[in-house]
Amino acid sequence: MYAELQTTTNFSFLRGGSHPEELVERAAALGLTAIGITDRNSLAGIVRAHVAAKDAGIHLLVGVRLDLEDGLSLLCYPRNREAYGRLCRLLTLGQRRASKGSCQLHLEDLCVHAEGQVLIVVPPPGPDMETFATRLAALRNRLPGPLYLATHMPYRGDDRARIAQLAKLADRHEMPLVATNDVLYHLPERRPLQDVLTAIREHTTVQNAGYQLNANAERHLKSPAEMMRLFAGYEALTARTVEIVKSISFRLDELTYEYPDEPVPAGRTAQQHLEDLTWEGSARHFPDGLPEMLRSTLEHELGLIAQLGYACYFLTVYDIVQFAKQQDILCQGRGSAANSAVCYCLGITAVNPAEIDLLFERFISPERREPPDIDIDFEHERREEVIQYIYKRYGRDRAALAATVITYRARSAAREVGKAMGLSEDTAAALADSLRTEGGFSEERVRDAGFDPADPALRMTLALASQLIGFPRHLSQHVGGFVLSRSPLCDMVPIGNAAMKDRTFVEWDKDDLEALGFMKVDVLALGMLTCIRKAFALLKRHRGIDLKLSDVPREDQAVYDMLCRADSIGVFQIESRAQMNMLPRLKPRCFYDLVIEVAIVRPGPIQGDMVHPYLRRRDGLELVIYPKPSPDHGPPDELQRVLKKTLGVPLFQEQAMRVAITAARFSPDEANALRHSMATFRKRGTLPLLREKMVGRMIRRGYDSELAARCFRQIEGFGEYGFPESHAASFAHLAYVSSWLKCHHPEVFACALLNAQPMGFYAPAQIVRDAREHGVEVRSVDVNMSHWDNSLEPTSGEHWALRLGMRQIGGLRENDANLVTEKRDQGYASVADVRRRTGIPDATLKCLAEADAFRSIGSDRREALWEALEDTPEMPLFDTHSESNSATRIPLPPLRLSEHVLADYRSLRLSLKAHPVAFLRKRLAPSGTLPAERINQDARDGQSAVAAGVVLARQRPGSAKGVIFMTLEDETGVVNVVVWPRTTEAFRRVVMTSRLAWVRGRIQRTGKIVHLVADRLEDITGWLSQLSENGDAVHQKHGPYAASPPLARHPRNQRVIPRSRDFH
Amino acid sequence: MVLTAVDERAEHTGLMPGMRLVDARALVAGITVEKADPLADQQALVQLGLWCGRFTPRVACDGADGLLLDVTGCSHLFGGEQAMMQTVSKRLTRLGLETRLGLADTPGAARALARFALEHQRIVKPGKVRAALKTLPVEALGVTRSHTLTLRHLGLSTIGAITRLPRAALERRFPPCGAENGLLQRLDQVLGNRNEHLSLLAPPPVYRWRLDFAEPVMHREGLETALANMMARLTVALKRGQHGARRLALWCFGIDGSMAERTVAASRPTRDKDHLQRLFAGKLETVDPGFGIDAIVIHATLVEPLEARQPLLDGSQQDNLAPLVDRLVARLGADAVLRPVFTERRFPEQAERFAGPGEAKTSPFSYPDLPPRPFRLFERPEPLQVIALMPDGPPRLFIWRRVRRRITRAAGPERIAPEWWVPHTDQATRDYWRVEDTDGHRYWLYRTGLRGNGVSRWFLHGLYG
Repeated sequence: MYAELQTTTNFSFLRGGSHPEELVERAAALGLTAIGITDRNSLAGIVRAHVAAKDAGIHLLVGVRLDLEDGLSLLCYPRNREAYGRLCRLLTLGQRRASKGSCQLHLEDLCVHAEGQVLIVVPPPGPDMETFATRLAALRNRLPGPLYLATHMPYRGDDRARIAQLAKLADRHEMPLVATNDVLYHLPERRPLQDVLTAIREHTTVQNAGYQLNANAERHLKSPAEMMRLFAGYEALTARTVEIVKSISFRLDELTYEYPDEPVPAGRTAQQHLEDLTWEGSARHFPDGLPEMLRSTLEHELGLIAQLGYACYFLTVYDIVQFAKQQDILCQGRGSAANSAVCYCLGITAVNPAEIDLLFERFISPERREPPDIDIDFEHERREEVIQYIYKRYGRDRAALAATVITYRARSAAREVGKAMGLSEDTAAALADSLRTEGGFSEERVRDAGFDPADPALRMTLALASQLIGFPRHLSQHVGGFVLSRSPLCDMVPIGNAAMKDRTFVEWDKDDLEALGFMKVDVLALGMLTCIRKAFALLKRHRGIDLKLSDVPREDQAVYDMLCRADSIGVFQIESRAQMNMLPRLKPRCFYDLVIEVAIVRPGPIQGDMVHPYLRRRDGLELVIYPKPSPDHGPPDELQRVLKKTLGVPLFQEQAMRVAITAARFSPDEANALRHSMATFRKRGTLPLLREKMVGRMIRRGYDSELAARCFRQIEGFGEYGFPESHAASFAHLAYVSSWLKCHHPEVFACALLNAQPMGFYAPAQIVRDAREHGVEVRSVDVNMSHWDNSLEPTSGEHWALRLGMRQIGGLRENDANLVTEKRDQGYASVADVRRRTGIPDATLKCLAEADAFRSIGSDRREALWEALEDTPEMPLFDTHSESNSATRIPLPPLRLSEHVLADYRSLRLSLKAHPVAFLRKRLAPSGTLPAERINQDARDGQSAVAAGVVLARQRPGSAKGVIFMTLEDETGVVNVVVWPRTTEAFRRVVMTSRLAWVRGRIQRTGKIVHLVADRLEDITGWLSQLSENGDAVHQKHGPYAASPPLARHPRNQRVIPRSRDFH
Repeated sequence: MVLTAVDERAEHTGLMPGMRLVDARALVAGITVEKADPLADQQALVQLGLWCGRFTPRVACDGADGLLLDVTGCSHLFGGEQAMMQTVSKRLTRLGLETRLGLADTPGAARALARFALEHQRIVKPGKVRAALKTLPVEALGVTRSHTLTLRHLGLSTIGAITRLPRAALERRFPPCGAENGLLQRLDQVLGNRNEHLSLLAPPPVYRWRLDFAEPVMHREGLETALANMMARLTVALKRGQHGARRLALWCFGIDGSMAERTVAASRPTRDKDHLQRLFAGKLETVDPGFGIDAIVIHATLVEPLEARQPLLDGSQQDNLAPLVDRLVARLGADAVLRPVFTERRFPEQAERFAGPGEAKTSPFSYPDLPPRPFRLFERPEPLQVIALMPDGPPRLFIWRRVRRRITRAAGPERIAPEWWVPHTDQATRDYWRVEDTDGHRYWLYRTGLRGNGVSRWFLHGLYG
């Protein structure tokens, strides 16, 4: 009988060599009575250990190793709930007074919080026992509670002599000895990794770390028999571990979490208040009377909420949303519970439950007592206001951000391990690419990187790096996940400082909190909401239309017509290349189609091979049949209920889960395990097991084996990016609203979209181009007309005109732009006038000149620049006409149009004057290059074609096996290019880096979608410089060195065309 | 990390300076990368500049990759400007360098021609600078980058375009910026209307003395006196230059035309004349004066910076060991003077080794916090037959050199695992025991083959006392 009481996990960063789960599972397998986890001044890994211990059926002791500032270390185990609260407060105290990631504790602090704790002193490693002895005496006097002294058998050669020495001390100070193994890893094979961690921690290499590394691999978990053998003659020491375990009653399950009850008015219960609000809201939403269906849904949901006691949760979310509405901050809820009828009535979501019937139980199930999950998206520019409101409303001891565990990824793991193994930084960086995320490495990639995969040092580095992947590196604040509670949080979990000022976060991440049933509200930032709010404001000001998210006209067929044409640039979620390809195939005609559209272009359905069957069934090319079990195993329509809405093809995460539960008869617990292994790959080992379970059971129940395998592949796909129907519904709503704006008010939409940058998939150039293609007049930036933001100006036509704002000018500051607007009065007459009246710095004036913003004054960019450069002395007397009129007479060479266009790109990243490719047409013609328009309209399937254009985007979807999609833009439109891996290899540089590319290939046409499959590519970025003022004339006259002087060759000069958006 | 320079082949594949290394690697597999060392580049340039002292004493560096040679009044020595340029080009090519040369009235113009002219070599006749520079790009002027960019934005891309403009307009728009010249000042310098100051390279001090004897010296004593005399001068000069000598060479020229060379080295820079003199003591004996020596040269061939240091208050110099080591090395050879050093490695035979005097890093010779090591460690552990408790209990009895030794006391085991990071290591984990036999002798034994890792084998690794 033995319990291990000193275990360091990898949540003692760069010390422990194993995950908490690994340690707990190993302890269970070895038959230990219990295992105590003692990370350094931290409880960050304890919940994971707790969950694993429950699964493995072993008793877990919650503990901490307290490293005090004076060098003393003690293991601390709270005996009961009160003592645990004290321990959390102690750690909070230590962490709050230190900077992020560290903890400062003194003996005095420990004494104050020592009641109810079992404390085990860890003797120092060195031979100097005398100072230690004097410290023990002091400790004994100040700490009344049970105090033990830890002993180890580290195979140092003098282990027994040391125990004898410690035994004397123990006798003198009445501190019983207890055996531990000071565990650092679960298996001896982890010694190399632990050594590497030590080297990383000490900023050295394993070769130079010397005696900082352990001499042997003995610090792994050992079986009771082995521990008893090691401590033969000291049986009392091992037996004492079990006594200690018996004296501790605290379990992590005892933490009872309660929702905050702030929003409930006096005299009402939370449930009553929630019901009041819901019925009030339903009356507001349905002034003509509530449909009967909805009434029963509401009653059902409210009943379920009452049964589970979640009223406070909904009220808390309602409270936050209410605050945002008062402040005019646009927001929308999403997530499991958000799309309920109750949430619709409370105004948390604008998705009408009548349009999409989501089963509430799917997310709040009575059998799984898991808290509901609602994420709220806010405008990204104003989210901080909401966060500060939450802190103010609940106080910092009751509201804190959740943690995010930052783990080692392939790149960081390779870099750190490489450094510790003594490789150069470059080598380590080059190796990173050959690591697989799921562990292991690819020899082929190693060879590609120019290394010999047989090299033992290299293999060792790669093996260790792949072990390190997934190890926690440090804790960070979650992007917006709040934990709120009724009682002080620091009684339940330590709270530390974040790197950001005024932010604090708990030590546990979202999974941990969920495992313990804590409530969390995600307060997230969404750029599209900013855009929509700005669009609503513009509509109100210029068109007198006052809209809210919930009352944008529904099911507008013009909107769907537009989407069926794949005309979706700028629209939320469905603007990506893949989505635009899907739109004409899916042909969305109603809101639920949009929900599917949002969810279908995801790794889950793609990996599960569900996309094509769904599309075929939708088009009526395939019969809608529901898979069914053999008759003796269950009703034939058991899956029909699950899959009806999606024509028998599982598309959403919930459906995949339902299939597991219904068709493979997964119990709620098993389903939970499946969901968890989907969410993270930290339990790498469990996935094959679950696959066997699910696929096997489905086949046994008479399902088609191929279908079963596909369903599981889909679940694996969801693991990478889970996408449930409820999220899709919320996103689809925003997609609809943004489509509606784009369809009916393209100028408003483009203006708002530009003002909400940076966000979304497209750069300003494409947004402007798209707006112009929709008949919007776009006017150039001008000091006499523009504001900081883009704005709308009246025209004689149907739409307003879009006036580009000064925010589009690279390098211009908002303050200066505002000065230009404020001092404008009747307009500026000259560059000097602008300078004099605004007092903006010369650099800003030059920026404006380079953006060609002085046209209304009558100067083009070159003339304006010449004037802006003039260094006028402060002489008020000569002020009026200080700008020597002779200056304008200076014969500066005029700019050609092509030069203007490039200068526009340089300053604004777009040009209203022309497209750069237009100037290259003549030069492109001999190679047979066609404009995009011609390719998209005329080219036949299989025909060979040549295109050229600015590279807008490169994408390499994980599901497309290395195929790269490039988007080229010329003056007539956009060409979609497909590059197969073999072609990529041959033209790697062109594919990866060119900003202006020339592509020859074969046309692939399916319906309206045209692809150019590349077989030859060329980088013609250099052609651009021949359009610029460096012009070929100057260039070709001089020697090779001069033709490309270092200046002109510098990559900066090739950045005229903005970098494409790659690999999103 | 970014690329700072690429060679011709790399350039053809599309690599260029300023690129991030990661991108470069992604682009071209298997490129060879050397870490840029701008300081070494600069030093090499200075070296080359000094070497150019053969053409003119007035040499200056131009940026990181150029040299300016003021050949005023020197060209006739090489047969005129054209011939001189040929010579310079030929000599530099022989050093393996690619060159571009320009020669003109002003440093700025010469520089512009060298770097931006069409031809690899260009000479501009006196007074023709303005015309020659007309077509060169504005970059050739060498004004600040922001000025150059602005000029280009204004469409003023050649020097000719600028010289056509009124001076006042330029003056106001391109003023001097800090220490940098304004456009006008620079233009004037290039065109020769304004002086340009060159910061010339100065050669490093050379520590070399020659002493000619009126009468040939026939005896060692005479040589010693002469050497002492010169050593005194040398050390004074070293002190002035804040240098210490690491290596000295003594050349003795015989009247018969023979030359004998003797060199000495010091383990750290020194300018203690007695110490240096003593280093030569043994060496002078081996110089055969023959018919007499009529001149000697002493040359400090390697010097290192050494700041003047005060003697301790009792008048002694710090560190008395170094001179002793130097003398022992001078007399016995470098591999005869060793000292034990300790490295933090776990296997005892790796932890202790001997190092030469030059090896810098030392650490205290001790095993921190570990049980005592034997006084005598065997170079090759000797295999033993042992009876011991399994799996890792103490030994009871062992046979060494055919003698049975019964163990009365044993302490251990101390388990030492091999260094896993050393490739191809075939070493096994060892369990060390300190044991005492019935006669009171103490031994250090170890066992390999633990926990089923092969056959258990015992060795004797050392003796205590």
